[in-house]
Amino acid sequence: MDIKITEELNNTLKDNGFKTEEIKELIANAESSGQKLKAREGDISIAKGGSDNLTVYAVYSPSELLDVYAHKMNILGLTGGELNEIDYDDASEWACAKCGEIALERNVDMTYMGVTRPGPGLVCPKCNEFYVSDGVARTLKTAEAILEEKRA
Amino acid sequence: MPAKDYAPIDENWLENAGSLWTTPWVDKPSERVIVDPIILSHAASLFRKNAGYFYQNPDEAIRMVCHACELYDVTPVGHYLYADYWGQDYGAEIKIQTNSPPGITKRPIKTAEDVDNFEVLDSDELAKGPTLTTHYKALDTCKEEFPNMFAPITQLGGTMEVATNWAAIEDVFMWMITEPEVVDKLCQKAGDHMVSACKATAERYGANVMITGSVIASGDLMDTEQIKRFSFQPVSRAVRKVLNAGAGPGIYYHLCGNHTDDFQMWKNAPMSPFTIVQIGYDGQNIFPTSKLVEHFGDRCTCFGTVDTKLVDRGTPAQVYEQAKEQVIAGKDSPRGFILGTACECPTNAPPVNVHALVKAAKDHGKYEKF
Ligand SMILES: [Zn+2]
Repeated sequence: MDIKITEELNNTLKDNGFKTEEIKELIANAESSGQKLKAREGDISIAKGGSDNLTVYAVYSPSELLDVYAHKMNILGLTGGELNEIDYDDASEWACAKCGEIALERNVDMTYMGVTRPGPGLVCPKCNEFYVSDGVARTLKTAEAILEEKRA
Repeated sequence: MPAKDYAPIDENWLENAGSLWTTPWVDKPSERVIVDPIILSHAASLFRKNAGYFYQNPDEAIRMVCHACELYDVTPVGHYLYADYWGQDYGAEIKIQTNSPPGITKRPIKTAEDVDNFEVLDSDELAKGPTLTTHYKALDTCKEEFPNMFAPITQLGGTMEVATNWAAIEDVFMWMITEPEVVDKLCQKAGDHMVSACKATAERYGANVMITGSVIASGDLMDTEQIKRFSFQPVSRAVRKVLNAGAGPGIYYHLCGNHTDDFQMWKNAPMSPFTIVQIGYDGQNIFPTSKLVEHFGDRCTCFGTVDTKLVDRGTPAQVYEQAKEQVIAGKDSPRGFILGTACECPTNAPPVNVHALVKAAKDHGKYEKF
């Protein structure tokens, strides 16, 4: 899959320390394994990669890279341990590309600098895969900065 | 009183209080549990001023609160807020009262049709509106004069609280029975408003701590299905939107009143890494911290409470006894614990009672988990 990256996004990637090759590889992995989120409407996907120290996400259409974001908090699993019934509509705008299930908006435990707390995740209830949205990644960035300051 | 008339804040105290305050959020070891008696206009009473004066002078209000925090040795955070926020921005009239917080007198929504036509303001409009202009005056003063006691707080309440600041509570409760879809619509708009308000604060200060939850929507006034439909669900949707907009990370779920029958649903409310849950009452009794920790301790930071009525009208011994029981049950909660009052510290509560609350935390709130 040959994916276009606008100059503007390319500059943003550079500014944020992302390497284009790594992002392309992350997308290629998601495409070959099917492990990604797909918008329930429209042809947009979110691929996930990186390490325990940095989870990187790429948002893309079949032709173009749209956004890249990341968080340092490492997702451990569902807050409270299991997927209980809950009292609101938790269906997100995304579905798991692998199994087709709608991704659910659920709290997931995240850990960083020895602190474990909940955060709003996107969860495939079947594959037990966890993602976060780009907006939540911005919220997590603020949280990470506080932890870095306070845990130092 | 201008800033120059206050004695300087003791920097050693501030550093120590700051470290006690950090522990429940980031697990950094310190000596003991910190107390947050939710001081607002109570601070004014320490300066022989009344609630009316407090709320009309947001800059002074912050100074009085910050100095009260030092006096009592409690959470070093400057607060300024009251329940009747967000009416004025949409045309309500507000009345300043001598001995209680400002109250809304004329509400903008009178009919079901008004609900349809009601348009929620965006973050820029709200930032210029009367509620946030006053609120930010207080916060800016805090940031400038007490930078280490600053937190970018947005007072929201839940959807039912915002809704009843826009429409009379009798009307909202009547619609709940006769035309519940109207209340759905109203609560949805209240949720959108909450998102705008949080964005405004996050844009101004780079982060936001939202005070939300369920106050009117408690078991005293509504049944569990109503709380779920008109509070838990629209509040959860709004909080999720706020976090998706990057306008966090602080979330304070203030569940005031009796939540025996609905508290369980809040376990799944959207949470961020800086989330705290406070529940006022279990039926007629104070919500036991043991129960709070049992259900929320492995999820978020817990805020254990002492009965506000006791702080207002009880003896210091009664306050101390209840605080002791709560702090022992909560202090080693896995994701942090704060001891406080069920709701804001009553304006004219005897200072010895607040002191008794703090004393209980000092005597019985030493951490064992670190
Ligand atoms: Zn799946």
